[in-house]
Amino acid sequence: MSSRRGRITDEEINELISKLQALLPESSRRRAASRSSASKLLKETCGYIKSLHQEVDDLSDRLSELMSTLDDNSPQAEIIRSLLR
Amino acid sequence: MISIGAGSSSSSSSSSAGVRMGGAKRRGKPGGAAAAAGSAAAAGPAQTKWRSGTQERIYGRRLLDALRATRSGAPHPQPRPRAVKDAADSALALTARGQSRWSRAILLAGAATCRRRVLVKAGGKIRRHPRPQARAAAAAAKAAAAASAGEPPVLRERKVKDRLRVLGRLVPGCRKLQAPDLLEETADYVAALEMQVKAMRALADALAAAQLSSNRQQAAGDDEADMER
Repeated sequence: MSSRRGRITDEEINELISKLQALLPESSRRRAASRSSASKLLKETCGYIKSLHQEVDDLSDRLSELMSTLDDNSPQAEIIRSLLR
Repeated sequence: MISIGAGSSSSSSSSSAGVRMGGAKRRGKPGGAAAAAGSAAAAGPAQTKWRSGTQERIYGRRLLDALRATRSGAPHPQPRPRAVKDAADSALALTARGQSRWSRAILLAGAATCRRRVLVKAGGKIRRHPRPQARAAAAAAKAAAAASAGEPPVLRERKVKDRLRVLGRLVPGCRKLQAPDLLEETADYVAALEMQVKAMRALADALAAAQLSSNRQQAAGDDEADMER
């Protein structure tokens, strides 16, 4: 699908941008679908990716804490492992 | 499952810095719906793929394996959050089966930290900072090409170009990508990140709940012991 298209048409760019718009969280989109200039959308996308990265970092902190206490309760570790398989 | 993951990671590491995995990019997804969505759908195959429960289950398993590996490496001190994040990212890239540029970039980065010396000896293919002259020449060539090739007007705006550059830095391995490819990679990356957050949160909640119940059990056991006395 991503073979070299030669010249990139206006249509294709708009298509890709609207595809991106569809991925962004609903709350920001509901206000005005018309206020979707390319640069605004790209800025929102960058912000969204940064917030997702931040969430992953926070969850990693949380998981590393939880995992350390997991070592002390080994029967729980077995149960969890078997549950999550 | 594990063998598929191993296969894709070994093939991507053998291609070292050259990230072009042949001309055809197969979109071999488990769901037939993804194939039907094709290239024209607005919602995009990215969402269909990552939001399916299958991918999350596969990722969950890979994540558990990766986390267990971090624990066996450093048994007693608690695993550093950085190690957990790297494990989660590598598991995500593996689940993507190296079909997207960002996933290959993550897998290569993981391999590179172990084998950077070997790769550098093999002809210095890893180049972190492009030489200034090369960068200026590339920028000039791109501007000339854009002016002559009738680039869509939206891409010629200064703001859009700047935002695209920032976006390229956020998505792994996409710093030098042109707009259409970059937008595609971004769509896939965003959907994958959403799934990653969802899965990690579910795992953290499950662990926390298990601990709460174990603490309650222990407390109940102590109470019983007290009462028996």
